[in-house]
Amino acid sequence: MPAELIRRGLLDHRRALVGWCLGIAGYTLMTSSIFPSFKGSPDLTKLVERYPDALKALFGISGGGISTGAGYTDAELFSLMLPLIVLVLAIGSGARTFAGEEDAGRLELLLAYPLRRRSAVLAKGAAVAAEVVLVCVVGFCALAVWSAVFGMGLSMGRLAAAMASLVALGLLYGWLALALGAAVPSKVLALGVPAAFAAAAYLVGGLHTLAGWLDPFRVFSPFWLVGQSPLQNGVDGRGILVVLAAAAVALGAGALLVERRDLQTP
Amino acid sequence: MTAPAVETHGLSKTYQGKTRALIGLDLCVERGEVFGYLGPNGAGKSTTIRLLLDLIHPTSGRVSVLGLDSRRQGVEARRRIGYLPGELRLNDRMTADEQLDSLTRLRGSESPLRAELCERFSLELDRPIRHLSKGNRQKVGLVQAFMHRPELVVLDEPSAGLDPLLQTEVRSLLRETAADGRTVFLSSHSLDEVQHAADRVGIIRSGHLIDVDTVDHLRERALRHVTIVFAGPVDATRFRGLDGVRVDSVEDSVVRLSAPEPAMDAIVKAAAMHEIVDLVSQPADLEEIFLEMYQEGDAG
Repeated sequence: MPAELIRRGLLDHRRALVGWCLGIAGYTLMTSSIFPSFKGSPDLTKLVERYPDALKALFGISGGGISTGAGYTDAELFSLMLPLIVLVLAIGSGARTFAGEEDAGRLELLLAYPLRRRSAVLAKGAAVAAEVVLVCVVGFCALAVWSAVFGMGLSMGRLAAAMASLVALGLLYGWLALALGAAVPSKVLALGVPAAFAAAAYLVGGLHTLAGWLDPFRVFSPFWLVGQSPLQNGVDGRGILVVLAAAAVALGAGALLVERRDLQTP
Repeated sequence: MTAPAVETHGLSKTYQGKTRALIGLDLCVERGEVFGYLGPNGAGKSTTIRLLLDLIHPTSGRVSVLGLDSRRQGVEARRRIGYLPGELRLNDRMTADEQLDSLTRLRGSESPLRAELCERFSLELDRPIRHLSKGNRQKVGLVQAFMHRPELVVLDEPSAGLDPLLQTEVRSLLRETAADGRTVFLSSHSLDEVQHAADRVGIIRSGHLIDVDTVDHLRERALRHVTIVFAGPVDATRFRGLDGVRVDSVEDSVVRLSAPEPAMDAIVKAAAMHEIVDLVSQPADLEEIFLEMYQEGDAG
């Protein structure tokens, strides 16, 4: 039954998952623990606010600067590091679970069992989703605790919404990696295409206000769609839905295309 | 009437639009037989097997397995098949026991023969698969192929990595499966591997099915190696004229011939015109018939 593939997908990655969870908790701890020194030092914040606009745009420094807990967390975590962590996890997991397994010759036996290939793709998609959600929930819990410990005063509602936007981004790129591996037998494509798309979308999302010619393209950037500086500005609920819908379309396409092709010989 | 275990019509597979791996295969494997599918490496054996399991799709032609179309009713067909891949890759971190548990859940049905098979192959159940030898991994593959008591077992080179004792065990397992009314489709590049287990043999070369025959028939067609030692030098031309007889060598008073069974009478009668010291007739190994057929294939 396909449920076994979900279970197995998670069990196979359990060690890596523990690492990701410890990693996100540890990194947010390290970053949060520095916050009190920013809070108490207006000079330092002024210095940061004199950064060139391009840097500030890219690093999510806006509005309240980085002297508030929300501004600091947006700039230090949600502008780059947390999306990066979630995307590396999601793309790696999505590419490994189909393209990687096929490459290693392990799909040969599994797909000779009585299950549809599309069910296998969907089950593996569920496993990737569970990993992304798990790491984001751990990130949420960790930040909730650090916020209380270091007096960052983060809004729990906004923090949860910010994490939800990361889940949406993770699902989009993770499922894209899975779907590409299902549609075409190439681990390189399954890893490289989503990573390149994500990098391009990140830059468009970060720089469109500065580079005017990029502005029309911002609607194609999932980073822009889900909303930026989420702890200060909140997220865009509709944007998150659009990104989730795109993720579902990618996974669905992968589930259809996998039926049409030959499985590669181990 | 029950449908054949495997039936293909004009089955062809061309990879990437150019490599013709299988050309117009018409094959019928009846229920309850052990069918040996023989050919050298790259002949199209694994391609045929992967088509049966719908792991790859045919360029043209049809496959039906246990009466089910392998493309449209693949899931139902695979429910009733057990498969051992030629290149078995298992999950290295799991133990054999965990792997078999996982595969049982994946199949979603019972594995009534599992315990018996594990014991029969003395499988080491609690060691991670990465610590197992090639032969022991192959045992895990064999157990999973047979454990749900499938109606059709498809084995791609099952003896790889198994010691002779285990090969004998596998052979008797195949015979028992057939005696149970179930079917075995067994590929191999060595006739020796299948001649004791198979009822019928199909021989494939460069994507073409060259011949299908019973093992007994193949043996009959097999050439005997006849060595006749005469009391003195003889003229070997009298043997050259006999139907089906080939003179391999003439050394003084020793004549070596190759001949099929039906030609033996004529040989003995021709030889009897001289004084004979010794006459030895040895059946050719099936391997030789096999090689002979390949050469015929080359000539054609």
